[in-house]
Amino acid sequence: MKKIDLHIHTIATVSDKAFDFDLSKLKEYSERLEIDAIAITNHNLFDFKQYNEIVKELDITVFPGIEIDLERGHLLLIADNKDLSEINDFSKKCDRVSSLIKTKDDYITLEQFSDIFPTLDKYLLIPHYQKNPIISSEIIDKINTLISAGEVSSYKKFKTCIKDSESLVPVIFSDSRYFSSMKNFSTQQTFVDLEEITLMGIKSCLTDKQKVFLSKEEGNEFFQATDDGLMLSTGLNVILGERSTGKTVTLNKIFYNHENVKFIEQFSLLQNDEKKFEELLSRRQSTVSEEFLNEFKQVIDSVKNIDEKQNEIEIENYLNSLLKYASDNEKADAFSNTKLFSENLFTKKDLLGLKNLISAAKTLKENSEYKNIIEKHLTSQSLESLEIDLMKEYLKIEEFNLKKDWVNTLISKIKDELRFRTSSTVPEDVDFYRILIEKDKVKKFNRIVSDLKIEREIDRKEIRGFKIVAIAKVFTSATHLKKFYRRQTSLTGAFANYHLPFKFLKSLQSMDIEETELYKFFIDIEYKTLNKLGFEVSGGERSEFNLLHEINDALKHEMLLIDEPESSFDNIFLKNEVNALLRDISKSIPVIIVTHNSTVGASIKPNYIACTKREIENNEIVYKTFSGHPADKHLKSVNGEIIDNYDVMLNCLEAGNDEYNKRRTETYEILKN
Amino acid sequence: MMNITNEEPKLMKYLKIEDNKGYFLKQEKEQTDQWIEIDKITKEDLMNLLESAISTDFEIDEYIEDNIGHKAHQIVYKSIYEKFADLINNNKSFIDECDSQFRSAIEKYESIE
Repeated sequence: MKKIDLHIHTIATVSDKAFDFDLSKLKEYSERLEIDAIAITNHNLFDFKQYNEIVKELDITVFPGIEIDLERGHLLLIADNKDLSEINDFSKKCDRVSSLIKTKDDYITLEQFSDIFPTLDKYLLIPHYQKNPIISSEIIDKINTLISAGEVSSYKKFKTCIKDSESLVPVIFSDSRYFSSMKNFSTQQTFVDLEEITLMGIKSCLTDKQKVFLSKEEGNEFFQATDDGLMLSTGLNVILGERSTGKTVTLNKIFYNHENVKFIEQFSLLQNDEKKFEELLSRRQSTVSEEFLNEFKQVIDSVKNIDEKQNEIEIENYLNSLLKYASDNEKADAFSNTKLFSENLFTKKDLLGLKNLISAAKTLKENSEYKNIIEKHLTSQSLESLEIDLMKEYLKIEEFNLKKDWVNTLISKIKDELRFRTSSTVPEDVDFYRILIEKDKVKKFNRIVSDLKIEREIDRKEIRGFKIVAIAKVFTSATHLKKFYRRQTSLTGAFANYHLPFKFLKSLQSMDIEETELYKFFIDIEYKTLNKLGFEVSGGERSEFNLLHEINDALKHEMLLIDEPESSFDNIFLKNEVNALLRDISKSIPVIIVTHNSTVGASIKPNYIACTKREIENNEIVYKTFSGHPADKHLKSVNGEIIDNYDVMLNCLEAGNDEYNKRRTETYEILKN
Repeated sequence: MMNITNEEPKLMKYLKIEDNKGYFLKQEKEQTDQWIEIDKITKEDLMNLLESAISTDFEIDEYIEDNIGHKAHQIVYKSIYEKFADLINNNKSFIDECDSQFRSAIEKYESIE
């Protein structure tokens, strides 16, 4: 079995954050993690000189490689290390890639790629597969059979790919940069079932899911969690240990060495403040509010610029000027006597409705999912001619509108000229159509708000016995309204119009409230968490609810770490709810729990346990980790030292054997009798 | 003569020409409708006419210059007539536009769960 890491960065390119490469760190990494082969894969760059320096310094196989930005995804291309002239040729090809990519957003096309690398079979090609930025499956298909393995970003994805017969062979690599101040090393590497390292050997292993593993001896059920050799199960793990023996340090190490890890820290779930809890709940549930108010938001956008007063003024000006002009008629001169002087402008026809209709016809014509049903009623030919007719109509109206535009411009110009020369009043113009549409909008807006203000439950979710209920409620006072308004100004004036929606909107606008926030002031959405009995939750229940929520949320992550859940909860809750939930989740992602509590530690039935210890050797503090299966008699350290599993359990969970016996015989038995 | 609906129009006239003059129909609550000379029209009257133009079967006499002798009436009637005729012409698209206006919002919030 060989351990390989074919994704390593040694140069800060335009696609990397700045770092100064430290060769001694790379050497330390390869030795500490016992790696057999690496590939140097910088972004769109191969530095032959540096490659030679690395080969000279490291005692393991080093392959020349490059990570190419290809069609917005990343592809590892790794060459053989045997033939110098081949590496030279590879280097020249890489220079061509470098010359095409100048910024972090540039990429080469598949065509350019094939042009630079016309024969691909001598290389190993590994696309980002379940890792961002991915190479799309169409591109993978186009590169064809040359790709058998894909890089993934987590153990969870690795295991999923192994089980999925359709997916590529998964590989997981460090994708790390090596610099002098780095503290921990990545533990993400892949084992391949190989006797001797050669590029062809690796290539052949990467065509077979039976030949890639996360661990050396335990298949895919285990992974290396820290760079000091701690192996943990990809299922459920418990880390035990007395205070100050390095448990939290271990969790932190795992957290920093892996991506997308959910870490529930000690005491982080305690929720005694009701108001803060409510805020937290609103934040988490904000999608419910957003979804409920989505349509209303659009309505607000559409009415916020309507100015009813201005519309009235426009009508008034139109009428006054018209009547004045008519009554001045006797005084009319040659200029105001012209027909055009009092001519109204043409109203253009709005084409939005027709536009929607055309796109609807297009949708019908192009839909493939329900083609059968559509064709039963409408032939594709009739749909085609419908679309054409509608478009013809569109063009006709559009042409007419353009003509109106042209005439309107001309009329306005002539009117302006005449206006200069006459003493008569010029009749103003007004757009009745727009005013009417706006009137209708305001009417509908008022109706929508009054419907919106009907108190109702808008959403109900259940999480393990708890219910989160979202209720739409009217605002009851100006103070209540201030929930969304962080400034000092009072909203009392605005609130006086709360029952007159459009007027209320206008008064909110005059308060300089952000336009994008306006929709929040019409209805309040309150969230309540109810317990199993349907009552609002207590302080302790709030913490329980929080934990359940966080654990559920963990499924969006690749790994879950929990530091002493017992610090916030009682044993019954831990046993009945938490343990079952954690066991469930560990079927999907690795779960690692640090605990002192026997309910968690002993009853949860973990797949694997680890124990941290602090010892003093030669006047120096040494931290050690022992691990093993729960049923093992002994736990083992990386160096082969062993400790008794039974002692560990009793010491860490029951405060020692004596104390445990005492409690059992003296306290519980006496109570029982 | 124009009207805004196609189905069995029960037409109501709002602008008419009679005796060489232009008139509009003034409708007020709890009062009988009255025909008022067009040059006495106020902006409130105009607003009411606008409301009627969309909510009832709205009919107006076509503007024919020769039928109105009064010069001032000619000017006012012509202008107002053109405005309303324009509206009537666009009435179908107006109805369509209003119908589609906020339809999804209205449907969403009027349903009480």
